[in-house]
Amino acid sequence: MKRHIFSILKPSVIVMLLFTLLLQTGCAFKDIDKRLFISAIGIDPPEKSDEGYKVTLKVALPFGAIKESAKSSYAYLTEEGESIGEIIRMLETHVDKVLEFGHMKTIVIHQDLMADNMDTFMDYFFRRGDIQLIAYVAGANPSAEDILRVEPQTEAPASLSLFNFFGDTATESPYIVTTFLFQFRKDLISDGINPVLPLVETTKEHDELVVNNAIVVGKQQEPVELSNMETKYYNSLFKGSSGFSYKVEHGDDRLLLNISRIDMDYEILTKNDVPKVIEMNVKMSGIVGESKHPLTLSKLDEYNQFSSEEVKRKIHSLLKNMQEKSVDPFGFGLRYRATRQYHEDIYRTWEKAYPDIEFKVNVEVKLQSTGTIE
Amino acid sequence: MDRSEQQTVMPAYLNRLAKQLEPSADVVKKTLKRKGDIVHILYLKSVVDMMQLQAIVVKPFYEISEDQDFAEYIKCLPYETKMPTGDEEVLIEITKGNVFVMIGKQITLLELKMVAASAVQEAKMEPTIHGPQLGLSESIETNINLIRQRYHQPSLIIETLQLDECSNRSIALFYDKDRVKPKLLENIKKRLKTLDVELVQGGADLQYYLNNKKYSLFPTSLLTERPDRILHNMTAGKVVIMVDGSPHAIIAPIVFFDFMLSMEDTYYSFWVVMLIRFLRYGGLLTCIMLPAMYVGITSYTPDVFRTELALTVAASRIGVPYPSFIEVFFMLVFIELLTEASMRLPTMISATATTVGGLILGTAAVDAALTSNIMVIVVSLVAISTFVIPISEMSYAVRASRFMLLLYTTAFGLAGLVLGTLGLVMYLINKDSFGEPYLRMFWQNRQEELKADKG
Repeated sequence: MKRHIFSILKPSVIVMLLFTLLLQTGCAFKDIDKRLFISAIGIDPPEKSDEGYKVTLKVALPFGAIKESAKSSYAYLTEEGESIGEIIRMLETHVDKVLEFGHMKTIVIHQDLMADNMDTFMDYFFRRGDIQLIAYVAGANPSAEDILRVEPQTEAPASLSLFNFFGDTATESPYIVTTFLFQFRKDLISDGINPVLPLVETTKEHDELVVNNAIVVGKQQEPVELSNMETKYYNSLFKGSSGFSYKVEHGDDRLLLNISRIDMDYEILTKNDVPKVIEMNVKMSGIVGESKHPLTLSKLDEYNQFSSEEVKRKIHSLLKNMQEKSVDPFGFGLRYRATRQYHEDIYRTWEKAYPDIEFKVNVEVKLQSTGTIE
Repeated sequence: MDRSEQQTVMPAYLNRLAKQLEPSADVVKKTLKRKGDIVHILYLKSVVDMMQLQAIVVKPFYEISEDQDFAEYIKCLPYETKMPTGDEEVLIEITKGNVFVMIGKQITLLELKMVAASAVQEAKMEPTIHGPQLGLSESIETNINLIRQRYHQPSLIIETLQLDECSNRSIALFYDKDRVKPKLLENIKKRLKTLDVELVQGGADLQYYLNNKKYSLFPTSLLTERPDRILHNMTAGKVVIMVDGSPHAIIAPIVFFDFMLSMEDTYYSFWVVMLIRFLRYGGLLTCIMLPAMYVGITSYTPDVFRTELALTVAASRIGVPYPSFIEVFFMLVFIELLTEASMRLPTMISATATTVGGLILGTAAVDAALTSNIMVIVVSLVAISTFVIPISEMSYAVRASRFMLLLYTTAFGLAGLVLGTLGLVMYLINKDSFGEPYLRMFWQNRQEELKADKG
């Protein structure tokens, strides 16, 4: 066995010659620098026509040295058209690079669009393979374009603040509802639950983003905006967020409770196969975070009691309010459908019964201490 | 002693041998005469230890009393080697440093060789902090001595044989006859005997010839310079082959995972070894896959990156004229050149080469926008992780195979990377080393595996 150098010489010369072709000017390759990273999409009602949508894309621009640049830089693309897919096709003709949706993580929808049939236009995002289903969905006030164009001062380069609000990776607040695209889609098409979206607003100067409300998307009804307080209660009871504070007023006293743990369960009670009562048990534990008067440990039971009353009242009013507006963000209907034996009229029974259903709320607040050492 | 007189006394056989060695300057033929006793000797003075010759043959010849038989004395010497049949074989023995002694009808070969390079060398290729610091020497006698000194077992067999090639070097086979698989031993011996090569210079080229395949990438036997590695493998029933004049030993058969073992692993505690191995296999994966992964991710699926990283990579590629795969290819070739250069150069200059190449050229290439700085990080990481592989032949093979993966990924993206890796694994599974599966895993402990092997 001997090494035959010449037998491999010929093929290697051919390979080398072919390789030189790659260095010619005509040879190109779709590289990362030929792509534009879309970071957010905004959807608004159209301005020029009655039908269709206006889509705004927020494009994150790469820049030389990320550490040296103080401010993030974005480009915005806007176009109107009949359907989202069509508009994005048109937008592709507005830029010289490939629009890359792989990093698109926030879909912002104008408040007014939540009234009509949302699943028609949301369908596009679901079908497109490169849009991740873990994208956040949010409502916008005054308009999606305005929200996208806000560049808050706290925004670091290469990190969009719109991402940071949601998903508890940066800020964590009981006022911020996080809804993912997959979750939104699921809630939108299943009977017995209404999807809840966070509502993103901005200040007059357009220099800050504010997320502390939520909006309940109606299916046949108008969307219902939740107040701050309602958002907080919804979030802590149904989304399991914790570490919140509750303000409780009792006569002259005003306490702020820091609740570290909330357990909630409910049961739908039926009579003659018709749901009549929803019984909800809530257990909270925590400490007193702020008080007008000095507190004593011996009176802890008393504080527990009036706190319980107060919280109970608030929860009750939230549930009642939603019932009056005939929306069901909590998914009571879904639970009913899921836990009863199926028959064709099951959802109709629920729909008929929901407006008259009675809520029984039991709250047990357990304070562990007064928050100070005596 | 004048010329004409010597001629008349010299037997024909000796003359015939001497003639074939001429006109080398170092051929010495001598006749020792003493009152009727005549001894003819023939040797090459460059390979024979003169002091020994003097002390063992010449001096006793004149000191021995008359009634004693000098021929008998020569016969009893421990230096005697077996007399081969045929002129050619005898001549080979003489060139090895044997002294040809002829007394009357009795001919004897005495091994009085002098080996210049018998010093034991420091283990340079596979240094460890603990464990023996010295490797093998370039003389096979010293090496045999080294192994015998560390392994006192009558079952340790050392067979020397000669290849059919022009340098007629002796080759030694080491094995423990209680542990080795007889079939395997036979296989290796057969392979050695049927080798058709011109010249064997040392362990490395013998290893290549033993491989029996013209185009192969991964080594099927292991080359080592560490006695502890030799013993470690010999107790596992493997065969060790040494070539005279080479400080390396060949261990066969071998599995892939033997190449990933550093002798250091046997000297540390369990968790430390686990950590080091984890690092080592991590390094292996990094240096095979990272360049291909860079191309696959940046050019085909940037979604895999975090958003921040995608933007940073995109930004660092601004102004880079060539597509990512050419960039990676160039940088890899560049780093290979650098490695090669610093290996070939003397140690003092190689530091300069690395500095100029690595630091200055790297920074300048980024500044000139010929390559992105992320690429420089990738390439340096790849270069460093190559050195984590303890056996250099394996690291060469790995360095070559990553170009293959790069090619696949350039054509088919991350799917190509998976495909290429799969192909590589399939190739390794298909491979065998002297009949042993190359990718054989050892799930049980060593003793149990060895027992299973025997059965």
